[in-house]
Formats: sequence, structure tokens, C-alpha cells
Amino acid sequence: MIKKIILPTIFAVLTYGFWISPDFKEIAAGVAIFLFGMLSLEEGFKAFTGGVLERLLRKTTDKLWKSLSFGIVSTTLMQSSSLVSVITISFLSAGLIPLTAGIGIVFGANLGTTTGAWLVAGLGLKVKISAYAMPMLVFGVILIFQKTKGLKGIGYILSGLGFLFLGIHHMKEGFEAFKETIDLTAYAVEGYPGVFLFALIGLAATVVMQSSHATLVLIITALAARQITYENALALAIGANIGTTITAIIGSLGSNVEGRRLAGAHLIFNLVTAIVAIAMIFQLTHLVDVVSAWFGIGSEDYTLKLAVFHTIFNLLGVLLMLPFINVMVRFLQGIIKPRRRVEGQPRHLHTATFELPDTAIEAVRLETLHLYDNASAIIAGGLSLNLTEILGERPLSEVVAKSRKPLDFNIDENYDGSVKGLYGEIVQFISRAQASLSPAQSDELFLLRAAGRDIVEAIKDTKHLQKNLSHYLGSANQEIRKEYDQIRASLALVLRQLDEVRKQGGDSAAVLSLDSLKIAMKEYDRDLDYRLNTLIRENLISAPMSISLMNDSGYAYHVTKNLVQMGEALFSTGDKSLREAERSISLDSGEVDEMLEQSKNSQPKSPR
Amino acid sequence: MNIQKLLEKAEEFLNGDERRRKEKRKYLKQVIKKLKKHEKKLVLQLNDETDDVAREQIEKEIALAHAHRKKGLKVLKTLKKEKKSSDEEKD
Repeated sequence: MIKKIILPTIFAVLTYGFWISPDFKEIAAGVAIFLFGMLSLEEGFKAFTGGVLERLLRKTTDKLWKSLSFGIVSTTLMQSSSLVSVITISFLSAGLIPLTAGIGIVFGANLGTTTGAWLVAGLGLKVKISAYAMPMLVFGVILIFQKTKGLKGIGYILSGLGFLFLGIHHMKEGFEAFKETIDLTAYAVEGYPGVFLFALIGLAATVVMQSSHATLVLIITALAARQITYENALALAIGANIGTTITAIIGSLGSNVEGRRLAGAHLIFNLVTAIVAIAMIFQLTHLVDVVSAWFGIGSEDYTLKLAVFHTIFNLLGVLLMLPFINVMVRFLQGIIKPRRRVEGQPRHLHTATFELPDTAIEAVRLETLHLYDNASAIIAGGLSLNLTEILGERPLSEVVAKSRKPLDFNIDENYDGSVKGLYGEIVQFISRAQASLSPAQSDELFLLRAAGRDIVEAIKDTKHLQKNLSHYLGSANQEIRKEYDQIRASLALVLRQLDEVRKQGGDSAAVLSLDSLKIAMKEYDRDLDYRLNTLIRENLISAPMSISLMNDSGYAYHVTKNLVQMGEALFSTGDKSLREAERSISLDSGEVDEMLEQSKNSQPKSPR
Repeated sequence: MNIQKLLEKAEEFLNGDERRRKEKRKYLKQVIKKLKKHEKKLVLQLNDETDDVAREQIEKEIALAHAHRKKGLKVLKTLKKEKKSSDEEKD
């Protein structure tokens, strides 16, 4: 109900304002242009999020000071704390960074926003920035029409900056003209009632505009035109800081528990800082005077003094909250609890990652690995083996020899419980994510979807294999038992080697070494042909046994092939281009045959 | 940097196909380098190994790494040829 009323009310108020005052129209248009500039700037930076930003973000997870610096630097460069928050929430949702690092980045981002006030107060109001806006817009728009992603991104950034400058110019002009007709300082409120009232106004303005940066620019331009008092401007800045958490809270709605915890941390930080700032407003004002005098800022230069206040106020918040970051993490973990973890439910797929295509791809990769974890337990069970033992240190021949008794393992039931639903979720997520992807990114998702299909196919082939395997495992015929044990050992080796390669963290040589499994399986298939002839000729196994064995070795071959394909697609963690390079030199079926032919007689060659 | 080189760099930046090819070459070289290192490590391992079964396994791994490296060099050559022919087309 409230939602339905808000928008028409805002429209009505603005229309009335435009009707009675052309100057108000210019100020509002300035804000609109400024906000459009911010959107354009965010769009531009998103074009570059496919590499540098993510790599940097990954490296800021080990130390708190690194997370803090990342937040400061990235927000200073991009002039948007909300974009930094969105990226952080996406990374948290995909499980790529821990909560402590996320909180560090958000604290840093809060400090980074203070540079915006300095830029506008120090440069925007002193220089005629609209003169710079025009060429930026012209060059920017030309670049937006280019095909290359990078050039398009630069175009959006340039036009974003152009619109920001133009917006500031219109706000400034609007307030200057407004001064002629009406003096808003007549409505100034002194003392604590003024602090509370204007903090509330700042909060409301930021919630409406969804940007504390825009509110701050509005405050600075109004202050420069002497349309608000300095004391009230300080209160407005405090309110804007609380209002900005609304953007973070909205952003966290589509994320998982970690994203919601981060939004909680953001809210706590801004609320505590605001409460302290309001309680100590007069001491802070005095401190601003001292610091400003020390920096040579004139006592009447209120816009720069506001920038000093904004910096001190956010710095105070960081200094106050930093020692309690671990307490905050524990508190948030206590009050925002995850739902009970169910094996068949996704852990990394959240709509929050849609904002960044590369993060969405990484989330799909991690979820498909989760699918593989569930599937490998099923495959092991289907072979009447225990996965923990397969992945352990003992020789596989021993592991297989020890597990003689067929396990009563229901593959269908386990598949329905931990794989089917999860696979469905992955496929659905990929279809939804694809809408905003480039062709290269779509190809990447296509490969991941194929890896998911390989996993499901491997389970289905194991199910076919299980029937005869369980039957012959307890057979009195030693020869057939030995053959089926060999199939079990080969597939157990596949699972073990896949696990070893995965642990090596995507080393190219390790990922490519998975091809050895393809060769080994073909070798086994070829040797089985010879052995089958002998076994039948010497009446060691019956004809039905030999047919079962031939069919089942085929299933085992397919399980291996599918799992190796899956491993090649999922285990490589490097850059997209690196993964492409690895794929381009992985051996195809013909090359595997060729290798097999050579393997009998060839000698190892030393590298050149 | 003279004007000619600057123009060439700018053209390379604006030409998406060439940039992609260059990036592919760069990463392919990285993978080949890693394989070479891996192969050398395996050869050293082979020299120290006395067990016949283990030796056979290492020999297989060396042969595989060598095959990958050979294929990598072949792909690299094809990419270089593509660049050459695209340069000739421009001239």
C-alpha cells in the first residue's frame, strides 16, 4: 500500500515544485543528471569487473588492512560506494571472500566516499566544471557506440563523469538563482532539535535518491549558495550516511546469509557512527575548526569545512568500530542464522551475483563442484565402496579387496535427494544469468552446464553398472569377481585422481594430466578384449558373464570419460583465457588412440 | 615511441580479433612453459626412481606432458600464421 502511494506522491510534489519555481526545477534536474551520471559511471566500471577488480578483491581477503585499503581506493576511483557494496555482496554470496574481509571493504568504502565531498567542495565549486563536462560527454558517447567492451566501458565512464559535472553545475546554478527569490536559511533550526530534524531530512533524501553521494553534493552546493546553515549541513551529512545503508540492505535481499550479515554490519557501522557524531556534534565542530585552521582552510569556507567534517566523522567511525570487528562478526552470526544445510540445496547460487557476470559464472562453477561432491558419494556407493576410503592414502587394490560385500545402496533415492534438484537449480540459474552475458561468457556457462550433464550421465551409467556388479561381487567364480574388482579399482582411481587434481588448485599441468585417465581406460578396454578371448576359450567364465562384462566395461568407460570432461571444465581456476588455452591442447579421442599406440614402445623424451 | 609504433599500438587495441589472438598466444605460452617445467620435474623423478612399476607410470606421464606440449606448440604456430595472414591482408 505504502509503495503504491510513495511514487505518485513524489511525482506530485516535484510537479508542484516545478510549477511554482523554475529554480527548483534546475536543482532537481541537476540531481537527476548527477544520478544518471552515477549510473553511467557504474555501467562503465562494470565493463572492467571481468578481471582486474575481481583479482584485486580476491587478494584482499587475507588481511584486514588490505580489505580496508581496497574499499578506500576502489570507492575513491569509482566515486560510488554502492557499486563497491554490490560487488562485495556478490562475492560474499558466491562464497569467494569471508565476512570479515567484506566488512573491512565496507568500512573502507565509507572512508572512500569522503573523497567525493573533497572533490566537489574543493574543485567542483571553484572551477567551472561544466566546461569540462561537454567534451567528456561528446567523447564518451562516441566511445559508447564502439563495439569493443573496453572502449564502451571507457565511454560510459567518460559520459558518467560528464553528467556528474553537468549535474553539479545545474545544482550550483539553481541554488544561486534560488537565493534571489527565497532564503531557505530562514527555516534553519538551531541546537539539537535542528540536528535531529536535518539528520532525518538527510536520511529521507538519501533513501529517495539511493545515493549518499548525490545528497552530499546537494548539501555542498546548497551550502555554497548559503541556502542552508553550516550546522544544519553537518546534520544533513550525518543523515545521508545512515540513509546510504538502505541501498546496501536492498542489495542484500537477493543474497544469502553472508550478504545479509554484511548489510547488517553496514547498518551497525553507520548507526553507531551517527549516534556518536550526534552526541559529540559540538566537540566535532570544534575539532573541524582546529583541523581546518591547521590545513589553512578559511574559517568562512564552509564547504571545505563540511568535507573535513565528513572525513573526520567517517574516520572516527572506522577507528571506533575496527577493534570490534570480530565481536561484530560473532554478533551478526548469532542473530542472522543460515537455514539448515541440506545436501541437495544450492550453496552458491544467489541472484545477487547476477550483477557481475564473472562472479555468476564462478558461482555456477562452485555449485557444479558441489554437485560433483554429492555425485561422487553416489558413484562410490554404486561401486559398493566408501568415498572416504577411496580418497584416502591406502592402495586402491586394498580398498577394493576389503569391500567384498555388496552394499545395499539405492542410487535412485540418493540421486533424487542430492543431485536431481540441485542440477535443476543450476540449469535454471544459468538460463536466468545468460540474459546479461557476452557470447564468451555464455560459452563458459555452456561448458559448465555440460559439466553438470556429464556428472548426471556418470551417475546413470554407474546405476547400469551396479546391477551386475553387485551380483558378481559375491559370485563363486573367482575370475569374474576379479574382473569386476578391476572395474571398481579403475573407477576408484578416477575418483582419487580427480580429487588430487582438484586439490592442486587448477594447476594447468595437473588439469591436463586428467587425459591420462582417458588413456588408461582405453588401454583397459583394449586389454579386456584379449582377456575375454582367453577367459571364454578356457571356459573360465560363461557366455552371459562375458556379455555382462563387455557391457559393463563400456559403462565404466563412459563414467570415466564423463568425469574427466567434467574435471577439465571445473577444476581449472585460472583466468578465462588460460582455461581456453588448456582446453585447446587437451587430447581428443583420436590423439588418445595415437598415444595408446605409442605407449607400448616409445621412450620418454627429454624436454628441449 | 615513434608515431608509427604508436599508431600500430592504437590499431592493435582497437582491433578486437587481434587482441583476443594475442591474449590466447600469451596464455598458451604460459601453459606450455608450465608443461615444460612439469616434464623436466618428471624426468628428474624418473632418474631417481628404481621401482619398475613406478618408472613405467612416470614414463607415461612424461609422454603425456610431451604430447600436450607438442599440441600446444602446434596451436601456437597456427595462431602466428593467422596473425601473419591478417597483417598481409592489411598491407
